[in-house]
Amino acid sequence: MSALVVAIARTGDREAFALLFRHFAPRVKAFLMRSGLAANTAEELAQETLLTVWRKASYFDPTRAAASTWIFTIARNLSIDMKRRERNMGTVDLDAVDEEADETSGETILMSAEREARVRAALAKLSEEQAAIVRLSFFQEKPHSQIAQELGIPLGTAKSRVRLALSRLRTLLEDLK
Amino acid sequence: MSVHSHPGDDTLLRYAAGVLPAGPALLVEIHLQACPHCRAAVRRFEAVGGVLLDAAEPAALAGDAFARTLARLGPAPVSGPVSGGLTGSGARRDHLEAGPSGSAAAPRAEGLVLPDGVRLPRPLASRRIGAMMPVAPGVRMGRVHVPEDGQSNVFLFQIGPGRAIPRHTHAGTEYTHVICGGFSDPSGHYGPGDLVEADGDVDHSPRVDDDGTCICLAAFEGRLRFHGLLGVVLRPFI
Ligand SMILES: [Zn+2]
Repeated sequence: MSALVVAIARTGDREAFALLFRHFAPRVKAFLMRSGLAANTAEELAQETLLTVWRKASYFDPTRAAASTWIFTIARNLSIDMKRRERNMGTVDLDAVDEEADETSGETILMSAEREARVRAALAKLSEEQAAIVRLSFFQEKPHSQIAQELGIPLGTAKSRVRLALSRLRTLLEDLK
Repeated sequence: MSVHSHPGDDTLLRYAAGVLPAGPALLVEIHLQACPHCRAAVRRFEAVGGVLLDAAEPAALAGDAFARTLARLGPAPVSGPVSGGLTGSGARRDHLEAGPSGSAAAPRAEGLVLPDGVRLPRPLASRRIGAMMPVAPGVRMGRVHVPEDGQSNVFLFQIGPGRAIPRHTHAGTEYTHVICGGFSDPSGHYGPGDLVEADGDVDHSPRVDDDGTCICLAAFEGRLRFHGLLGVVLRPFI
């Protein structure tokens, strides 16, 4: 997937874009709906996310992140902006991004794929409950009360289970830079 | 600046996920400028987000979704960085692109006196900060405006040597970021760059070091209540 983003940056490869769109747009939509956005809003943002992938492909640095991570951060930022606009609370100035694009080799792309595989493996090592806690923390603005409710445990217990789950995740990912 | 106290993992994860409210997120953003350790943690959590995204059960798109997006693509992107910001990246700097720490040029808060050599953190540069009102002997506070979240309670405190932050409780978590100076509470001593989280039910009154003014930021979740006479004085203000 990282190679597809790099192909867009290098040659404006529409074929690569089509493949990325097919894989990520439906997932971004699902992800945003999971975090509480209405289906039509999530659809708009999913398209916007992939559009941003096309436009900003040259900012993607495969030595730092996998394509999925980068696309996640784009969708996240668009969704933060969307929620702010919905609250109709004034405007926020856009931050200029002054970042050098790096030349990328096949080797660095491999590294970020490995990184992603490591995260996947770490998540798989968590117990079912711990994995559920990580997911709930990701999608909820008030994760503790939501977790307590979904797992049917007292709030105090939820807090300590969150701490445990995340410290285990931290240990599993410790050497991941 | 050596940082001793960090945001909790759940706070960093919620920040990385984009679900931490704007007030605490502002303090975390400031902390990250000074803390490579937590920047790395946020990057790891962002990678977790990527994996969760990749594993998401795809949702059906509108039939014309791809055609509509293609129609908006425009010309092939130019190679190399283009001018302008990451579209829609908002006020928040992306950690995949986290730059070196920086400081805002000039304080805007009326009545704020910064010790020599101390500057406000860069993420405050674009923020409006209300006048620093005296709220207790040696203590001034001003509201940091967080217009993107009307529920937010973020305050800049300027506290004289040996003075205490007024006793208070609140419903949610309290986040405090030390800009300069230091303070102690029963859980320890904190200095520049530290971010301290305290549960709301703790009724506490941190005391500033004797050897200098402490400038810090505090973000409160939930309704904030000061005790004693101060609570009465502050009510219209908060
Ligand atoms: Zn830290």
